[in-house]
Amino acid sequence: MSALRARLPPIGLAAPIALFALFFLAPFAGLLERGLRDAGARAEMTSGMALEALALSLWTSTAALAIAVAAGTPVAWWLARARFRGKGAVEALIDLPIVLPPTIAGVALLTAFGRNGLLGEPLDDWFGVTIGFSTAAVIMAQLFVGAPFYVRAARAGFAGVDAQYERVAHTLGASRLRAFLRVTLPLSWPSLAAGAALCWARALGELGATLIFAGNLRGETQTMPLAILGAFESAAGLTAAVALSLLLLAAGLVALAAFWLISARAGGDGA
Amino acid sequence: MTLEFAARARLGGFSYDAAFSAAREIVVLFGHSGAGKSLTLQFAAGLRRPAEGRIVIGGVPAFDSRAGIDLPPQRRATGYVVQDLALFPHLSVAANVAFGMGGANRERRLGELLDLMRIGELRERRPRSLSGGQQQRVALARALARDAPLLLLDEPFSALDESLRAELRRELIRLRGELALSIVFVTHDLREAHLVADRLAVFDAGRVLQFDARERVFRQPASRRVAELTGVANILRGRVARAGAETLTVETGGARLRAVAPPGWRPAAGEAVDVAIRAERVNLRRLDAGDPSRPNLLEAAIAEEFAYGASHTLRFACSLGQPVEVEIAARPYEVLGVAARKAWTLELPPEDLHVMPVAPSPPPPSAGGSASATTA
Repeated sequence: MSALRARLPPIGLAAPIALFALFFLAPFAGLLERGLRDAGARAEMTSGMALEALALSLWTSTAALAIAVAAGTPVAWWLARARFRGKGAVEALIDLPIVLPPTIAGVALLTAFGRNGLLGEPLDDWFGVTIGFSTAAVIMAQLFVGAPFYVRAARAGFAGVDAQYERVAHTLGASRLRAFLRVTLPLSWPSLAAGAALCWARALGELGATLIFAGNLRGETQTMPLAILGAFESAAGLTAAVALSLLLLAAGLVALAAFWLISARAGGDGA
Repeated sequence: MTLEFAARARLGGFSYDAAFSAAREIVVLFGHSGAGKSLTLQFAAGLRRPAEGRIVIGGVPAFDSRAGIDLPPQRRATGYVVQDLALFPHLSVAANVAFGMGGANRERRLGELLDLMRIGELRERRPRSLSGGQQQRVALARALARDAPLLLLDEPFSALDESLRAELRRELIRLRGELALSIVFVTHDLREAHLVADRLAVFDAGRVLQFDARERVFRQPASRRVAELTGVANILRGRVARAGAETLTVETGGARLRAVAPPGWRPAAGEAVDVAIRAERVNLRRLDAGDPSRPNLLEAAIAEEFAYGASHTLRFACSLGQPVEVEIAARPYEVLGVAARKAWTLELPPEDLHVMPVAPSPPPPSAGGSASATTA
């Protein structure tokens, strides 16, 4: 009796919990219901445009994650271990894209890396490299909005590993890299995995910055969110948008589930 | 010589300047917390960098500020057990111990070490699931696994209960013998220091006040401060009345005490000195048993008494102007009938009275911030 009572929320919380659940579950139910009912939706899912956009979304967001991990891991470790003046400012700067509206991020990226941008112009003049409105721009937009999630989580993960373990590893003959790989990394693995999942999910859903900085070119910069927006405004309307949304949702869920399985196994070996 | 150590550093307001050595022996760094003992180990292991100095481990210069040598920790031949042990929580006992091992004969050597530390059964366990004493042995095995000639132990037994401490101390003394190691052992526990030390370095405020064989430090402290730190209960300020070749006569608190002349130091008549005698070295005699021809007899009365079970500590009021503390084992306490009697004669044997120079006031810390320690 008491065990059952412990599992049930207090009666006063029942109403907000029910409302909250309804609010968050209803949109998914709506998507599913519409997708199942509407025969046209299933056809839209396998259209060339949809599959092209899905493939682009999947590989660009994965590329963005790879860059975020490769470059963000050392930065996060350094932020977790170093003590210096203005560290708070550096951390705030890294967190900034999290709170920045994506459209602003797109405009900002354009002013930096666009053809007439701060860095984009010399790149174009000296090397003939144009970033704006290319697949590279898609990845950069995703990296810009997604990487802070990874760095933030990794920093917290590294900070949670007592530096004493690294010092002891050094006294046992381990180089900095070996100490990191054999001690710090396995101990902070859950945080890194969570940060990576957030970063990837954020990159996958990126719309505003991509639209402004990379444009909406089918096969080149048209990722799923852009395709959904396009479909919604097209003749097919909501039907196509529902179809693409379900497709992206399913792909995202499968990828995240696979990711969690792999990281749980890796974490289980390590910890 | 397994370790030659000399380092100077300045950390904030703390000035550090220490030197000692170790040659196939257990050297105890003894002192209060904050005296610089742990810092010494960090300097030796390479986890912190002194401003200047020279540290040679197993014949190899690990740090030499003049020659510009500063080996990173991983290239110094030390095994280091930090105070909190820091066993890797995600690795098994075997993986923890094998962490610092080289490739050749790894399995065989791992087995030997686990046997040596009697943790073979714990191979696959995680540190979390081990008792304090087991964790201690794993940490020791892990530090030994590098086959380094020098073992650095930072208060290794502080978290353990008394029975485990005793067992591990025995183990340590056995290891030093079996593996021909030098061990630098940090502790603030006087009894522990006495039990394990071959030589003792007494630390105070970043300085080594005395570095000597254990018995020398305990019987012949170099200064009043060393005597205080090593638990000498009775320290009297006096003046040399007569300085003979073998004995000194010291005037203190209106009494004249005869003391054996300290080795390697000859105070002049009239010089101010400190005289120390450990509480357990003072003899208790019945008043009527006093022989006036014997030196250093004092009439005294028990003012305070503390019973510790195995021994009693008695504080006597006497003519010296300060109380004299006497420690007496439980058995003689009963045989003498101390409980029933307040007035006694105290005998301070001349060979147990140790005369020390009055410490000159410590030199002011050198000015300027050039000397500073940095984390490596």
